[in-house]
Amino acid sequence: MTVKHGLTFLYLFFSCLSFGQKDTIVSLEEVILPDYNLKKNSNSLLTNSLSDSLLQNSSSLTSLLRNNTAIYFKENGLGMVSSASFRGTTAQQTAVIWNGININSQFNGQTDFNTISASDFNEVVVRHGGGSSIYGSSAIGGSIHLNTTINFKTKLENALQLEYGSFETSKVNYQLRFAKRKFSTQISITRNASQNDYPYLNTNQKNENGDFYNNSYNLALGFKLNPKNSIFFYSYLFSSNRNFSGTLVAPSFSKYKDFNTRNLIEWNSEFSKFTSKMQLAFLSEKYTYFENQAFPIFDDAKAETVVAKYQLNFNFSKKLEFSTLLDITHTKGFGESVGENNRTIYSAILLSKYLPTEKLVIEASVRQELTSNYESPFLFSLGTVYQINKWYDFKTNISRNYRIPTFNDLFYKGSGNTTLKPEIATQFEVGNSFKLIKNLKLDVVGYYIKIKELLRWSPNSSGSWMPNNVANVTSYGAELNLNYNFKFQKNIFNLQTNYAYTVSQDDAKNKQLIYVPFHKQTTTFTYNYQNFTTYLNYIFNGSVFTTSDNNYILSNYSVANFGLRYAFPFYENITIGSTINNLFNENYQSVSQRPMPGRNYNFLITLNF
Amino acid sequence: MKIQKLILVFCSALVLVSCDPESAFVETPLGAYDNGILVLNQGGFGAGNASVSFISDDLVTSQNNIFSLVNPTITFGDTAQDVGFYQNLGFAVLNGSNKIVVFNRYSLEFVTSINTGLSNPRYIAFANNKAYVTNWGSGSNPNDDFVAIVNLLDYSVATAIPVIEGPEKIIVDGNNLYVAHAGGFNYGNKISVINSLNNSVTSTITVGDVPNSMQIKDSNLYVLCGGNPSFAPTETAGKLVKIALTNANAVATVFDFGLLNHPSNLVIADANLYYTVSNEIYKITTTTTVLPTTPLFTTNAQGAYGIYSFAVHNNSFYIGDAGDYNSNGKVYVYSNSGSLNQDFTVGIIPAGFYFN
Repeated sequence: MTVKHGLTFLYLFFSCLSFGQKDTIVSLEEVILPDYNLKKNSNSLLTNSLSDSLLQNSSSLTSLLRNNTAIYFKENGLGMVSSASFRGTTAQQTAVIWNGININSQFNGQTDFNTISASDFNEVVVRHGGGSSIYGSSAIGGSIHLNTTINFKTKLENALQLEYGSFETSKVNYQLRFAKRKFSTQISITRNASQNDYPYLNTNQKNENGDFYNNSYNLALGFKLNPKNSIFFYSYLFSSNRNFSGTLVAPSFSKYKDFNTRNLIEWNSEFSKFTSKMQLAFLSEKYTYFENQAFPIFDDAKAETVVAKYQLNFNFSKKLEFSTLLDITHTKGFGESVGENNRTIYSAILLSKYLPTEKLVIEASVRQELTSNYESPFLFSLGTVYQINKWYDFKTNISRNYRIPTFNDLFYKGSGNTTLKPEIATQFEVGNSFKLIKNLKLDVVGYYIKIKELLRWSPNSSGSWMPNNVANVTSYGAELNLNYNFKFQKNIFNLQTNYAYTVSQDDAKNKQLIYVPFHKQTTTFTYNYQNFTTYLNYIFNGSVFTTSDNNYILSNYSVANFGLRYAFPFYENITIGSTINNLFNENYQSVSQRPMPGRNYNFLITLNF
Repeated sequence: MKIQKLILVFCSALVLVSCDPESAFVETPLGAYDNGILVLNQGGFGAGNASVSFISDDLVTSQNNIFSLVNPTITFGDTAQDVGFYQNLGFAVLNGSNKIVVFNRYSLEFVTSINTGLSNPRYIAFANNKAYVTNWGSGSNPNDDFVAIVNLLDYSVATAIPVIEGPEKIIVDGNNLYVAHAGGFNYGNKISVINSLNNSVTSTITVGDVPNSMQIKDSNLYVLCGGNPSFAPTETAGKLVKIALTNANAVATVFDFGLLNHPSNLVIADANLYYTVSNEIYKITTTTTVLPTTPLFTTNAQGAYGIYSFAVHNNSFYIGDAGDYNSNGKVYVYSNSGSLNQDFTVGIIPAGFYFN
C-alpha cells in the first residue's frame, strides 16, 4: 500500500504548510438557478459542489461521483447499470434532482448514474442527508443536484472537447453560451461511445458484449421580460444504447436502450416583498430491454410525468423568510410488464428561514401529501447553524423522509403489491464546519438514520417474488470533507479529500447491508503551474458483503487516476491533455464477478473559440 | 497550534482505517466424497457463486464449497441447475454460464467443461451412452429451444433436437426420453417424447400447466404439474398426471389440486410418491385414488419458508431451504415420521440432492 503512505505524507506535508495563506478572490456574476431552495435551505447540511473542470473530466455521473465523493457506487462493469449507496442507504434512497425536479425512475425508484453525462451540466451539488420535505421521494441518504446555471452577462463562447482512449472510448462535447441584454442561452451536446472490450486482468477473458454509446443535450434559455419578470426554459435529453456485459463466468447477450427527456418551463416574478416561481415540467422515461439482442424480442415500458409547481416566497424581514410551495405531480406508466396505471400526488410544502441573531440560522420545512396510491406520512426538516466562532460553525438537522413505492413495486404484472407503504426514515445529524484558515475548509459530520418499512422483493412460500415492507434498518456513520487551496508563487495546489465511515444494519439480522462498504475515501491532489495542470485522484473502497448473512466478501480496492492538461502558451484557447486511469493496474471488481478495467489511457483536446 | 494537531489526527485516522483484516482460515478437501450426498447450490443468478456441498450418509461429516476446495483455480460457475451421474462422472449443468462442468463424482476433481453447443442449459439425462441436455435457447425467444446430445467420448455437442418452448426436466425409460415443458419464460403443458435411437420427437403428451417434476414407476410416468403461478396472466390449479407408457402414452389418471395449491418436487421411493406444497410434505401411493388433504409433516418448526429442493433416500427426507435467496441456505434431514434428525448450513440456494 505504497500509495496510501504517499498520501499520508501529502496530508501531513500540506496540513503543516497550510497555515497563514491568503484569500483567493472570487468574482461572482448574478447566477440564476432553477433549484431555488438548494442554496437557501441546505445551510444546516453538508453540501459539496463539484466544479466545472471536474464535470468536464468525467464522462458519466458515475465516474464524477465515484472519484470525487464518498458516495459508494456499485457498477455492473464500466458503463453498465450503476447505483449509489449514500450513507449506507439503498439505491432507491438517493434522489437525483435535475434543476429542482426529482428525476428518479418511476419504475425502479433509482437513477442509473451511467445514464447522465456529467459534462452537460454547469454544476453538480451533492447534498448530504434528508431532503424529502423539499425534494420528495428518495432524498434519504442524500440528493445529487444537476444544475444548469444561467446569467445575462453578455458573452459568446464556444467550446469543443474531443477525447479518445483505450478500448475505442470516445467523447465529444460541444458547448455554446450566448447572452445579450435580455436573452441568454446555453447548450451542451455530448456523445460518449466505447467498444468497452477491456481485458479482464490475470485471465485470458475480456469484457464481452459491453459496448455502448449515448447521446445527450442540455439546453437552457432565459428571457428577461422586464426587471421583475423572467421566463426560463430548460431541456435535457438522454438517449443510450448499451449492451450489457456478462460476468467472469456467465456470458450475456442482452441489450438495453434508454430514452429520457426532461423539460421545464419557469416564470419568475417579483413584487413588493414577494417572489413567485411558477414551474411546469414534463418528464418522460422509456426503456427497451432485449434479453438476446440477436432477436427482435423485447420488453419495454414508458412513464410520462407532468409536474406543476408554484412557489411563493415572502421576505417578511431580513431575518425572516417564508415560502409556500404547491406541487401536483401526475405520472402515467405503461408497458407490457406494468400495465397502464396513473398516479397523482398533491403536495403542500412550507419552508421558512429565520435568523434570530447574526450567529444563528434556523431553517425548517414541512410537507404533506395527498395521493390514492399510498398512505403519505407527514415530512419535516428542522436545521440550525450556529456560528460558535469565526472559524467554526456547529450544525444540527433532524428530518423525516420517505421513499414511495414505484410503479414496478405497485403494478408489476402478477407480482406488484398495491398495499405497499412508503419507506420512512427518521434521521438526525450533527455537523462541524471549520474554516481554520481562509483556504482550508473542513467538515466533519456524524449522522444516525432509522429506516422503517424497508421495501424488498422477496420470494413467498410458493417461490413467487413480491415486494413487501419487510425490514427496518439502522444506519449511522461519519463523513469528513476537506478542501484546501495553497498558492506558492505561481504554483497553485489543491487538495480535496472525502471520507465516509458507514454502518448500515438490518435490525432483525444485525448484519451489515450487502454492498455497503464500511470505508470509502477519495482524494484528489491538483497542481497548477501557469499553463500546466496535473492531478492525482485516489479512491479507496473498503470491502463489501455480497450476501445478507455476511458470509461472502468482495475485497477492497484502491484505484488511482492521473491526469495532465496543458494550454498552449500562445494559443491559450487550445488545451491538450491525457489521463491514465487505474494507474497502478489494480485488478478489482465493483460487483462480484464483474471485473473493472486495468490501466487505460485517454487523450483529449479542448478548443475554446 | 492545536488545530494543526487536529488535522494530523484526522488525516492519519483516514489512512489507518483504510485497512480491512482478511480472513486467514483455510479448509482442506476431505479427499473422498462417496457414501454421502452432494448438495448442488444454485447460487444467485449473475452472481457466479454456485457451489457444491457434501453431507455424509451418516450425517456426521459435511463440507461446503467442495468443488472449489478440490479445484481452487476453477470457478464452478453461475446458476447451477442440475447434476447427472454417469459411471464415475458427475455432469453439473450451469445455466447462467452456458456450460456443463464434468467432474469425478467421488473425488470432485475437475475433468473438463463443455462450453459450446449449449444455450441456457437446464437438465441432463443419459441414454444409449449419450447425454441429453434440455436448453431454453434465448429465454425470450419461444422458437429456439432444443435438446442437446453430448457425445460422451469427446464431450462435444453432436446434435440438437429442436423442441417446443421451455424444456425443463428430462427422464429416461429404455430408449425413450420424456421432456417436460414447464415453459421457460412462459407456461407450458406438454411432454415431448424423444426416441434416443433416431433422436427425433415421436410424440407430445398434453398434461397440466407447468409440469415441474416427473417419475417413472411400473411403466407409468407420473408428471406433477404446478399449475400457472399467481403472477401468471391466469392462475391455474396443479395436477398430477399418470401416463401409461405401455398403452401408447395414454393419460390414465389425472389428480386435481385445489386452485391455490401449486405442488412441486415429485419424488418416488418404493411404492410411495411424495410431493410438496409450500412448506408441507405429502405422501401418496401408486394405488391412491384421492389426494390427501393433510400433509405427512411440515417444516413449520424449522421456519423453512418454502421447500426449494426435496429428496427421499433410505427412509430419510432431505429438504433444501433457500432462505432469502441471498445467504447460505439450509438442509434439513427428517426421519420418515417427520422428526428432524439434523440440519446443515450449505451454500446459496440449495437446489438439488445427488446420492453418491
